[in-house]
Amino acid sequence: MNRKVGTTIALLLATSTVLAACGGNNNNGANESASPSPSASPAASSPASEAPASEKVEKFEVSLRHIQVGEAQKFRKAILDDIVDKVEAEIPGLEFELDGLQDSFNRFTKLPAEMAAGKPPKIFDLFGGPGDAIKYAKAGKLLDLTPIITELGIQDKFQGLSTFTYEGKVYGLPIGGSVEGLFYNKEIFAANGVNPPKTWDEFLAAAETLKSKGITPIASGSQAPWVPLMLVNTLIGRTAGPDAILGLADGTKKWTDADVVLAFSKYEELVKKGYLTKGELGLNYDQQRDEFLSGKAAMLFDGSWRSSLFSAGALGESLIGKVDFIALPSLADGKGDQTGLNTNFANGYGFSSDLNDNELKAVKSFIKEMYTEEIQVRGLLEDGVLPSMKVSPDSVNKVENELTKAALNVLASSASSFPHFDAVVPGEVYKEVENQIQKLAAGKVDAAGMGAAIQKVADATPAQ
Amino acid sequence: MKNTLRNPYVYLLFIVPTITLYGLFFIWPMLTSAYYAFTDYVGLEGYHYVGFDNFDKAFGDPDFVASIKRNLIFIVFSVFIQVPLIIFFSLLISNVKKLQGFYKTTVFMPSILSTSVIGILWGYIYHPDIGLLNNILKIFGVDPVYWLAETRWPLPLLSILITNAWQWMGFYIVLILAAIFTIPKEINEAAEIDGATGMQKAVYLTVPLIKPIISVVIMLSIAGALRVVDIVLVMTNGGPAGETDVMASFMVNQSLTLGQYGYATAITMIIFAFALILTGLYQLSFGRQSERIEY
Repeated sequence: MNRKVGTTIALLLATSTVLAACGGNNNNGANESASPSPSASPAASSPASEAPASEKVEKFEVSLRHIQVGEAQKFRKAILDDIVDKVEAEIPGLEFELDGLQDSFNRFTKLPAEMAAGKPPKIFDLFGGPGDAIKYAKAGKLLDLTPIITELGIQDKFQGLSTFTYEGKVYGLPIGGSVEGLFYNKEIFAANGVNPPKTWDEFLAAAETLKSKGITPIASGSQAPWVPLMLVNTLIGRTAGPDAILGLADGTKKWTDADVVLAFSKYEELVKKGYLTKGELGLNYDQQRDEFLSGKAAMLFDGSWRSSLFSAGALGESLIGKVDFIALPSLADGKGDQTGLNTNFANGYGFSSDLNDNELKAVKSFIKEMYTEEIQVRGLLEDGVLPSMKVSPDSVNKVENELTKAALNVLASSASSFPHFDAVVPGEVYKEVENQIQKLAAGKVDAAGMGAAIQKVADATPAQ
Repeated sequence: MKNTLRNPYVYLLFIVPTITLYGLFFIWPMLTSAYYAFTDYVGLEGYHYVGFDNFDKAFGDPDFVASIKRNLIFIVFSVFIQVPLIIFFSLLISNVKKLQGFYKTTVFMPSILSTSVIGILWGYIYHPDIGLLNNILKIFGVDPVYWLAETRWPLPLLSILITNAWQWMGFYIVLILAAIFTIPKEINEAAEIDGATGMQKAVYLTVPLIKPIISVVIMLSIAGALRVVDIVLVMTNGGPAGETDVMASFMVNQSLTLGQYGYATAITMIIFAFALILTGLYQLSFGRQSERIEY
């Protein structure tokens, strides 16, 4: 009797293990998004679209990868959820399988692995530029969207599609954009008799005054190197002119050119004079934000997306009305337009080239619902995301968030714009810039050395 | 039962699943890694054989060479500072009369925690403003120390070494304790009758008798020090300007994020070669001496 019971239990255990392993596919997407380590089998994370034939409507799933996770992205997640509901209502049998991941993890770890395995999600968050969208487009992994946007009539409505275009065809659509500039705490400035700086010299003088009063002039956190590169990028646009960034990408400008090195030495000046947060090489992006929000630092160079921090219910609630956003002050020894701004329209959605008819219908409907003036304005009003499409001026006037308005004003009053070099230079070169900026901040290299090291990698990298 | 095992087909039935799993998850990845290390594979079709280019690139990069040095520093710290401390604590705990179980458990607990959790925990202990260490130092009037962001001398590396030691010492202490308990009590009693002090018993009796297990601990430490990556990535992500980069974190930051899988696997082959050479050298020089212990 005991042996029989024992055998039955063993058989049951074995069968249930096998069934659990095979039948768990549908939940894998949601569960795996919680784990930070890369999954051993990327193929398992995007379920194949199932089509068990029911009576009339064929049910199918479409996997949707997004980066709207966490407190800071809750407004954008709400917008995405509404679009998902609308599209599901429009296409019978469709069910979206949402998979939210942290943005750099999706961009640098998960999506590349899925592309390599040949099984990316059907709809996914995609960055433009040669390291992302262009690379996948070249390998034929992305759906050509040109016929879809022509059919929907929106092909001319975008602010700029260059980072998603390869050989004349569009492979991704930007969801929104941002500009990068200087946030400053009006209260701290007034309390210390400092005026918002309009020139670089005024900026340095303000920093000196604040430092002498024991306030950190500029909040910084360079543990993640992309953070200080925001300021470096705008500095290059100012010292070498707005065309310099694209020039660095196509090789007409060198990282060793005097005007580019001048940008590095401006940053070096801030480091040497102690205007950045102490120990900033050990602080990450969130800690940099906290330096500014806690009032320990008076200025913060960041993107306009930070405006959503200063709204009711968000982390910077206590500073509403006390913060302003301006363009980086003009440089007396700069070149070209000193009102030039860094504008970014390089984050959006891409679609897998491997779609069946039903999935293609879902994708078309998704694009139709997502890329409308209404949604663009919603993103602007609810989350401070600048529209990637052209919208009418009265929609813009509805904006209530002070800082989003300031960002729009800054954008309107700038005479030129330039992209961020991370969207246009090859990945290896960008990596080297990241390495060098940290060395510059640690005092291990000087501005000229930084330029030379980056140019060395640029020379060794084949042209895109 | 005896009859079934005599049947060769039954033998196969028992062995095949394990061999398949082993082959699939260990042998196959090793072989394909060795293959891809000599190509410029980026995950998409159309890669080419590039010979030793990846290896030239790695050894030609001063940052990579610096990261090899840091792995060696890890090894030196593990073998010459951690192991003596481990032996010292094991001896202490083995002589404790009361609450020995409590000490064993508390010392072992950190090694069962996830490394990421420990990294974040100690990140807060080392925090310049709100960290435990700096708050204690503040009481003595010392300026905040930037444990993980100091660039003037290798303090971040030392901080990571301390955290790593905290995590793993307990594991090795328990191993050595087990070895100490296998020493027959008569030997210690005989030494006591002859008038040996605690210190003399430890140095002349206990330690020589547990030499085989110490040898194992040293080998595990060497292999572990070469493999360390998660604690570095979580605590400093390679550290202030790459100052705490070790070979594996260099690989993750420099090539995996760029999708340069060929270069990344070349670096893993280098790590593998180092581990093989160092443990081989150790085995040939010191390991041989402590094969068997005769009482």
